[in-house]
Amino acid sequence: MAQNQRPTSILDSLGEEIIRILTPVSICMFSVVILVSILNTDSSSSSSVSSIATIAYSETSSDSSWDKFVGALLNSLVFVAVVTVVTFILVLLFYLRCTKFLKLYMAFSSFVVLGFMGGEIVLLLIEKFNVPIDSVTFLVVLYNFAVVGVLAVFMSKVAILVTQSYLVVIGMLVAYWFTLLPEWTTWVLLVALALYDLAAVLLPVGPLRLLVELAVSRDEDIPALVYEARPVTHHDSDSTSNGVIQRRVWRERRNVSHDLADNMNSSVSNSNSVGIDHNDTRLAGAEEGQVVEGNAELSAPLLDHRMTNNQHRPEDDASSESVLLEGIGLGSTGAIKLGLGDFIFYSVLVGRAAMYDFMTVYACYLAIIAGLGITLMLLALYQKALPALPVSIMLGVLFYILTRLLLEVFVVQCSVNLVMF
Amino acid sequence: MEASESTNPIPNNRNSIVSSTPVWPTVDGPIGLSEDESLSYARRFYLFGFALLPLLWAVNCFYFWPVLRHSRSFPAIRRYVVGSAVGLAVSSALLCSWALTFAIGGEHLFGPVWDKLVLYNLADTIGLTGWN
Repeated sequence: MAQNQRPTSILDSLGEEIIRILTPVSICMFSVVILVSILNTDSSSSSSVSSIATIAYSETSSDSSWDKFVGALLNSLVFVAVVTVVTFILVLLFYLRCTKFLKLYMAFSSFVVLGFMGGEIVLLLIEKFNVPIDSVTFLVVLYNFAVVGVLAVFMSKVAILVTQSYLVVIGMLVAYWFTLLPEWTTWVLLVALALYDLAAVLLPVGPLRLLVELAVSRDEDIPALVYEARPVTHHDSDSTSNGVIQRRVWRERRNVSHDLADNMNSSVSNSNSVGIDHNDTRLAGAEEGQVVEGNAELSAPLLDHRMTNNQHRPEDDASSESVLLEGIGLGSTGAIKLGLGDFIFYSVLVGRAAMYDFMTVYACYLAIIAGLGITLMLLALYQKALPALPVSIMLGVLFYILTRLLLEVFVVQCSVNLVMF
Repeated sequence: MEASESTNPIPNNRNSIVSSTPVWPTVDGPIGLSEDESLSYARRFYLFGFALLPLLWAVNCFYFWPVLRHSRSFPAIRRYVVGSAVGLAVSSALLCSWALTFAIGGEHLFGPVWDKLVLYNLADTIGLTGWN
């Protein structure tokens, strides 16, 4: 007897969806760890980048722990304040319907991120490995990479794989830049941003919540960067010629507005010597659509690509921010959306853990994945947009501290005495 | 035989024995573009690739891979996709040959110009590699 179809188990449907969001997060974290372990070995805290995040206090290795902690706290407060202001400005712009300006700004910012920051990092790698490539080839390749990236992410519709890869690459580049901040500042900043995320999404006065409510009430798309997993097609839904075909189009605007809001966060990133500053803000907004087709007609509702647009603005002396999407949401079709800001800050945490040792990397990675799983469960439970940062960041920081204080001693002693490992 | 919009969309039947004409022109299958949009997108990617963007031609070929692979489907789209493939092959051959000549030839082929053109020296001169 031929068995043509296995009954779909929960592993097929739910597991597949989770895997489709865990894989890019893991790839992003893994590549940041690799970059950090290749590039950051020689330069320790001495050559840290000056940016908005270090405006209040720049850490030197000779300060006492308490000084460093207070300095890091000041830095983080300044950063979170800037992020809040920027997010409110974004809400205002969105309220005044300046979406064209936002979109252009985001295109330019993406180009800057991919072109200049990506180019800088590749330059460092080339120098490290002494690759004999010439400038002309490098320029052509970089130009290609940046332009196609800008097109793929929000100007045009390209293959899903290409768009997803470019989003992961953008997240990786920005995360690497954040790992260049001094150590205490990074950790306190992560915790501060997790708390801010919690407040901005769940409080009724939070800017991200306001933005999402605006978008939902107008049934518009928020210009933001969000990673959207491919929807899982369930085999039990069959389409007959006379029936209504539910076509889940990727990144499609839906007709019925669903109450999904991700949180938006704006973060300002650092500036480098070339003069290109990059700020990224995390903007969360997720709306997914489901197209119902009747009578075997394939309507082709092309998505308004402005739905996921990320803004990157080069930093002037004033604070600039880019709008990244942060937070997690669910489409009505069930495909999970995760904001790019989440990618970035998870990778920053793991990258910073990699600067100490690989043991902390494993511990933090497991903590972040567990936090993401918990957030997904909460998402399924509450069916509204949730901040994806707090649980994972808190677990990650906790595990980092515990590993560094307790686990390391234990493992080292075991290894030295040839008991384990 | 021209592939028509069928009432029963079969997702990605590139492995089917019965027919080899795909229903969906894009590699994304039923969640990708429809045929009319595909034509405009293919044309746009092909034309924009002439702005020194062979990667865009590569993306075009990847995106419309079913069109490229099944030689009798979607004749309108196929023109642009095959054009993109040809352009990609030519430009990547040019770029690769130049880059390899530069890398392998080195100093004894180019002379002192090599030191000026190679990237890490140029970056040092301009000062791009230091952070501050």
